[in-house]
This record gives sequence, C-alpha cells and structure tokens, in this order.
Amino acid sequence: MILQIKNLFKWENSGGNRVFLLNDIDFTVNEGEFISIMGPSGSGKTTLLNVIGMLDGFNEGEYTFFHKEYIGFVFQSYHLIDELTVYENIETPLLYKKHRSSERKALVADMLDRFNIVGKKDLFPAQLSGGQQQLVGIARALITSPKLILADEPTGNLNSKQSDEIMTLFKQLNDEGVTIIQVTHSEKNAAYGSRIINLLDGRIVSN
Amino acid sequence: MIRNYIKIAWRNLIKNKAISSINIIGLAIGIASCLLIVLFVLDELSYDRFNERKDEVFRVVFRANVNGELIKEAVVMPPVAQTLKQEFPEVVDATRFKRIPSPKVSYEKNNYRNGKFAYVDPNFFDVFTLPIIKGNKVAPLDKPNTIVLTKNEAIKYFGKEDPIGKILLVNDLQFEITAIIDNMPNNSHFHFDMLASMVGYSAAKNTSWMNSGFYTYLVLKKGLDYKSLESKFSAIIEKYMGPQMKEETGMTFAEFTKDNQLGLFLQPLTDIHLNSDFSSASTLEQGGDMKSVYIFCSIALFMLLIACVNFMNLSTASATKRAKEVGVRKVLGSKKSQLIGQFLTEAFFSTAAAMLLAVILIVIMLPFFNNLFDKELQMTYLLEPQIVFTLVSLLIVISLLAGVYPAFYIASFKPIAALKSKFLSTGNKKGVRSGLVVFQFVISAGLILATLIVDKQMTFIQNKDIGYNKKQLLVLRESYFLGPNQTSFKNQILTDPRVERVTSSGHVPAGVTNNSVTGIYVNQKFDRRVNIFYIDDEYIPTMGMKLIEGRNFSNNFGADSLNIIVNETTINKLGYGSNPIGKTMIIGVNDDLKTFKIIGVVKDFHFRSLHQKIEPLIMLNKSSSGLIVRAKGADMSGLITSISKLWNNYQVNEPFTYTLLDDSYNETYMAEQRMGTILKIFAILTIFIACLGLFGLVTFTTEQRFKEIGVRKVLGSTVSQIVLMISEYFIKLVMVSFAIAFPLGYYSMNIWLQDFAYRTKIEWPTFLIAGFITICIAFITISFRSIKAAQTNPIKSLRTE
Repeated sequence: MILQIKNLFKWENSGGNRVFLLNDIDFTVNEGEFISIMGPSGSGKTTLLNVIGMLDGFNEGEYTFFHKEYIGFVFQSYHLIDELTVYENIETPLLYKKHRSSERKALVADMLDRFNIVGKKDLFPAQLSGGQQQLVGIARALITSPKLILADEPTGNLNSKQSDEIMTLFKQLNDEGVTIIQVTHSEKNAAYGSRIINLLDGRIVSN
Repeated sequence: MIRNYIKIAWRNLIKNKAISSINIIGLAIGIASCLLIVLFVLDELSYDRFNERKDEVFRVVFRANVNGELIKEAVVMPPVAQTLKQEFPEVVDATRFKRIPSPKVSYEKNNYRNGKFAYVDPNFFDVFTLPIIKGNKVAPLDKPNTIVLTKNEAIKYFGKEDPIGKILLVNDLQFEITAIIDNMPNNSHFHFDMLASMVGYSAAKNTSWMNSGFYTYLVLKKGLDYKSLESKFSAIIEKYMGPQMKEETGMTFAEFTKDNQLGLFLQPLTDIHLNSDFSSASTLEQGGDMKSVYIFCSIALFMLLIACVNFMNLSTASATKRAKEVGVRKVLGSKKSQLIGQFLTEAFFSTAAAMLLAVILIVIMLPFFNNLFDKELQMTYLLEPQIVFTLVSLLIVISLLAGVYPAFYIASFKPIAALKSKFLSTGNKKGVRSGLVVFQFVISAGLILATLIVDKQMTFIQNKDIGYNKKQLLVLRESYFLGPNQTSFKNQILTDPRVERVTSSGHVPAGVTNNSVTGIYVNQKFDRRVNIFYIDDEYIPTMGMKLIEGRNFSNNFGADSLNIIVNETTINKLGYGSNPIGKTMIIGVNDDLKTFKIIGVVKDFHFRSLHQKIEPLIMLNKSSSGLIVRAKGADMSGLITSISKLWNNYQVNEPFTYTLLDDSYNETYMAEQRMGTILKIFAILTIFIACLGLFGLVTFTTEQRFKEIGVRKVLGSTVSQIVLMISEYFIKLVMVSFAIAFPLGYYSMNIWLQDFAYRTKIEWPTFLIAGFITICIAFITISFRSIKAAQTNPIKSLRTE
C-alpha cells in the first residue's frame, strides 16, 4: 500500500452554503497500480490529485502517504520553467534535493538518454513541440526516482499521436514499478491504467 | 545552486529588457547621485583635517553687541595671541596672520598683482601642517623680511631656477625667499601663496586692544575643554582693553558693558569651514555651510530611497510574471527559504549591475559636478577605503532593501494558486505599492516646489528695487594706480559719447568694495558704528540713487567737507523723524572727531546683500580712489576696449581691470544660484526616477488588464476613455502625494528663506504650478503605455484566452 484516504472532505463556503469539492472520499492505492481518475468538469478530479500530491489541504478525514518524499508531478500544460534549458529543467529537482554536481550530471545524462532528447538539452521550452515539452516534464518528474507519479491530464494539450507516445511511456514506467495516478477525460487514456475511479460532484461514484 | 540562481537572474534580465533597464538605470542614477553627494559631503567635512594638530587648534574670534548691532569678526586685536599665551598655561602656542589684499609683487622688471599674501608669525608652521619641501625647514621666518612661497607661486616667478635666496619686492619692500612649501591643500580654510615673516611688520607689534585685523590661532593642551577656557576670557579683556577704552572714549569698561556686550570666543579649527557667520570683510574664503550639507545629505538619501522603492515596486509587480516559476519550483521541492535566497540573489545581481553603471556615470559626470559645486573632487576618492567600504555596504543594503520585500512576497505564493495565476487580485499588495508611489511623488513634488521657490527668490533678487540702477555701471577700482593722473584719466573717459557720467569713489554697493566703518557720537555720547561712504557730487546721480530730502553735495569741492548725506535707516535709527536736515553728529574720521551736519537724505539702497537688513550709512564728501562709469547705449564692450586703451597710455605697469556692477551683484548670490541649479538637477533626476517607476507599474497594470481592455473595446469604449480609466488611479495617487509634499515643502523652504532679510512670499500659485507640473509629467508618463494598450486590437487580447 502506498497511500490511503479515509472519509476525506474538502469544502468551500460560498454565500452561507457549504459547497463540497470532495465529499467522503475513501480509497487506497497499492504499489505498482496505474489509476485513472475520471469524471466531468468540476467533479473534483484535479482537487483530489492536488490533495494526494499535498499541494492542497482538506477539511476533514484522514490521508496517509507512506513515502512522502517521492512524488513526481506531470501537468497538462507541462509547467516547465521558461528561462531554463531542457537540461536545467530536468536538473532543478536535484538541486533542491542537494545532490552533488557530478551525481546530477550523471542522473540528468541518463534521463536525457532514456527519453532520447540528448540533442535538445540546450534548447529552451519555447523551442520544443508540446509532445517534447511533456517528455521533458516527465523526465523532470522521474529524475528523483519517485515512487508515485501524479499526472493531471498529461495529454490534454497534445495531438493523438503525441498522446499515444506519452501514454505508452507511462505504461512502460508502470511496468517498471512506478505507481501512477492520472486525471483524464479520455476513455482511451484510461484504458492504459489498471483501475478507474469515477468522480461526480466530489463523490466517488465507481471505483 | 547559486549558479542556477545567477543563470535564472541573468535570463530574466535579458527577457524583460524594458523593465530590467528601467530598474537598473533608475537604481544606477540613484546610486550615482547619492555617491556624488557623498563625495561632496565628505570633502566638505574634511576641511582642515589634514592638520596634525587639528583637534588642538582653535581660532580666536570676536563677537559683540553694541547698541543692538551684532558684530561678528573672525579677526581680533594684535596683542591677543601673545596675551592669551602668557595668561593661560593651557595655551601651548599662539600664532597669527594678517592678510594683505592683492599687493604688488615685483621680480626683476615684472610686476604682478595676483598673489595671495599674508604676514605670519614665525611659529606658523608649528601650528599648521604645511610641509616645507625646500630651503630652511626649521625656522624659515625667524628673521625680518623673509618669505616662504608655495611651489606654484615660485614657479610663476622663477620657473626652473632655484628660488631660495632670491629677493622679491612686495609693495616695494624687499623679501628674501627662505623656503618653499607644497601648494596648500584644497580643503584648507585659507589659501596663501606668499607667507612673509611678521617679525619686521610694525603693525604686528601694535599693543592696541581697540583695533583689529589679526587672524589668531591657539594651540591648546590635548583634550582640554575649550569652553572652560573661553569663560575666562572676559576678565582678560577687562584687564587689557579697559584702560585703553577709558583713554580713547572716556568711557569705562563697566559703563560700556552695561548696555553692550563684547567678548572673545574660540572656534575649533575643523568648524571654521562649515560653521562661520563672520562679517564678509573678515571672512578669509567663502566657506560652506552646515545647512546645505544637511540639505544635500537628505537629497542623497531621498534619491537612494526613491530608486530602491522603484526596485521594490517593479520587482513585486513583475512577480506576477514569475508566479508560474515559483509554483513549479515549489512543486519540485523548493523550500521557501531557497526561493527567498533566489530572489535576493537576483536583487543583488541587479544592484551590482546598477552599481557598476553608477560608477561609470560618476566618471562621466564628475567634471560637470565639480564645476557645479566649485570643487576639485577626484575619481581616485572612490578608491579610498572608506568609499569602497561605503560602496560594498550600499550594495548589500540596497540589495536587502530592494530585494527583501519582493523576495518574501513572491516566495509566499501558494503553489497551486501560483500555477493558475489566481493570486493576482490581492488588494493589500496594491496598497503597499500605492503607498510607495505616493512616497516617491511626495519627494518629487516637494523638490519641484522647492525649485520653484528658489527660482522665485532669485527672480525677486533680480527685480527688487535695490535703490540704485545696477545696469550699465563699469567699476574701475584700481584707478588709484594712476596716482595724480587719475583726474585726467577721468576727464578723458567723460569725453567718450558712450559715457553718461563718472564718479570718483571706491565704494560700490556690490562685489569688492572699500569698506569703512566708524563710530558716531550724538549728544556727546557714543551711539553706534555706522558704514561710511566717501563720495563726490557725481556719486548719487551716477549710481541712480534718489535724494528724498535736502540736497546733494555741491560741485565746489571742499565746500561740503563738514556736511553729510545719510540714508533713511540712519534717520530712523537715530530718531530724527521728519526734520533731519541740519541735525549734527560727531563722527570719527581717521582718529579725528569732527562735527558734521546732515544736508541730505538718500533713499535707502542695498549696499550689502539681501541677506542683511539695510544698515545706517553716512556719506562724506571726500575723495576716494576708484572710478565708477555710467555708460549709455549698447556698446559696452567697445567702451571697455577704448577705456583700456586710454589706461595703457599712462604706462603704469599695471594691467587694466574692471568689473561690471551687474555681474558683481549676481556673484553675491552665487551660493543661492548654485543651490538653485543643484535643486533643479536633482528635482529632474528624482522625478525621472519616479516616472521610470510609474512607467513600469503602468506597464504591468495594462498587462494585467489586457483582457479587460479588450472586452471594454469590444463593448464600444474609446481610446481616450481607456487611457483615462488607467490613468485615473495613478493620478489620484499623485494628488494624494501633494497633501504631504506641499506642507513639508512650505515648511522647509520657509526656513531657507529666513536667511534673507528681504524675501519673496510663498503664495498659492506656486503650489498650483508645482502641482500642475507634477501631474503633467506623471500623466505623460502614464500615457506612453496606456495609449498603446488602448489602441491594441481587441481580437489580440481576447484570442489569448
């Protein structure tokens, strides 16, 4: 088991009414799973993902994550730092984890190799296609060898060919043992995963 | 990590070229101005500190209040130095010098008249640290008729020849050169080129306590409280001056001091330059004043603050652009402290760039600045340890000052909000930024107001009815060199059709003048000291003065030798009221007491600067050397050339010199004019920096409201409506700043104006103009951006969503 959520509630007060963003969420994720969270717009998918990633808090309930340090994030709009090159973007998490310079070099070089983007290492995000940017985003998420990858609509801004490549990559990572939770609209993408959680108005309707 | 920070800092700098350059240029101007002023202030404070005994040397000065007239003299009586040394063991040494204004110096067949000459006591070099570089280093002035020259002065007369042992004639007296000293440092309160031994100078042996003229300096025991010594002086004055006073005036010291005060006081050597208020006649060189040092210090501080405020404002405003990066970094594991570190590094980086630019600016501006301040500040000052230290501390302080707030502000973004750029509508941040804009405009508007008021006072000085006509007056003070030929020279000038009148007098109401003061006695009793002018019958019409009662002196020379013309103030002070003509008084002229009768009253005219109230003045019909020519027509330079040719016909071995009274009048207010110019320059710089900041903020506002502007345009808003919408808020801020700036400016400028006995009034139109100028400048700045934003095709802004 990698994480456990028990009776979790998150709400906002709007005009005297309590609006539930997450309503009595209850599930566990085991190591090696590939979960897709689905649901219509506003159903709370991203909120749930943010809570899992500890980027956002909640009001009530219990959330246990067993490997706090090791989460990698992948975003729909990539969120690369525009002022940094591909190489530097991938390197940044290592800086914050205080890896030594030689170690960083080796790790980044491996990652560039693995995603076949060695030739692009000195380019800036704006010089890459969307698919390439997302590749960099994933490489950056993987650089610290996370146990869990949280992906918020990772293919939302990509065409179908790029989409397939990215999803294949996720599948491959999952096969290597990385746990993945993705938020997605697309049934096709969800099919890559091992389990689907459906949300509606902040509630799990099927698991 | 640091490398990563610097990299990011550099790339951000390059990416936002416009904002970065505004930031850096603004800060650089701020730092450069601040440093220039620091250089100036350090120089002002360094006066006389080169002296090894700077803390032990004190000047003896004379202050008195005689019949309500304040007398402040930097010179004292000849025996003071010796007496104080004898009477007080605390006085280790005492030395004097006596200034001789522009003596005639001759070497071989050449005559010169531009050396600065003083008689000094032989122990002069024990008190003042002026190293002897050649000749007798031990006792160069022990013998009579010996003289010490500065290096440059020696070169002037002797070129490469060895000057030691050579003989110079000064006012036809022989002096042997015994030593050469280095040129006197710029930051000395006196500058002489020739120092002659006081040993053979008879006036120096005078034991009279009733006349003055000697600059006197004491060396006190180390660490002595000079105030306590000062308090013992009054007994000494009574002891030595008392008997002489009784003999000369018939009044005992006790009687005199019943209604009057006088005393000797000590002034620390290092105070002389900045804290002297002595009569212009006894002032060695125009010093600085503490007030302007304070004013300049505050301007320097303000400039720096404004520049820092810009930096803070632009950094926080541009934070919106960095939001996403901050969010990403936080998601990737950055701690808040690491982000703060990053943004501080950026601030440091920009500050360092600004500082570099500032140093370049200083190099470019220094000559101009020196000219403005009449200084010789050197670039090498910047390499002095203090300055380097100041620079480094400034770098750190500014980085912190300008960087801390934005750093904390940016680093505190919530990651999700930052990624979604949701945090933009934080009201209180806008509040802080508005406060900073108000602060900047308080200073800008305040400085504009100050500049306008200084200007107004200068115009007032120019246009004030000063009681005579200063235009087209040519002053030939040195006509006495012609000796007996002066009259024929004068008559020749009179034949020139460009000349209206000529008067023989050396008493000029502005600039260098003959200066006589004497005591008057009314009803057998000493009444007061008054100024004396020696004039002929042509003086009053030539100068364009008005007689309001009685008559002028007659042209029958000698007929009016016991008659006087007085100014209105004399009449008022003496209480002669409506019928002054025919009243008499006793006046001391050349140690003779004679009775004089008033035959005329001249309308008050300003014969001192407008800083001072008009004093009583008495005009005697007595010849006085010097000529004043009233010209007519426009050909002044032609007239000067002709007169110069006439002069040369007399072959007096003296160059022809002249001054225009108008120029002398203006030179009187040089310090004020300089202050005006400096204020103007710094007001312009300040408002420029403030506008840079405003420009930056408007840029961000328009970017933030890009979409809103698009929507409004689609809904039918015109360009001018949008410009107005954007400007309104900022203009309101500027208006708010007036509420603080104007009372403050009014208050401080009133203090400044107190220095003038005759001054302009600060009235509401001045405030109106200052406000109008500020708002115009602000509005133009805002319009640069807002018009561009308002003209953008709305499709562009709406498509980005």
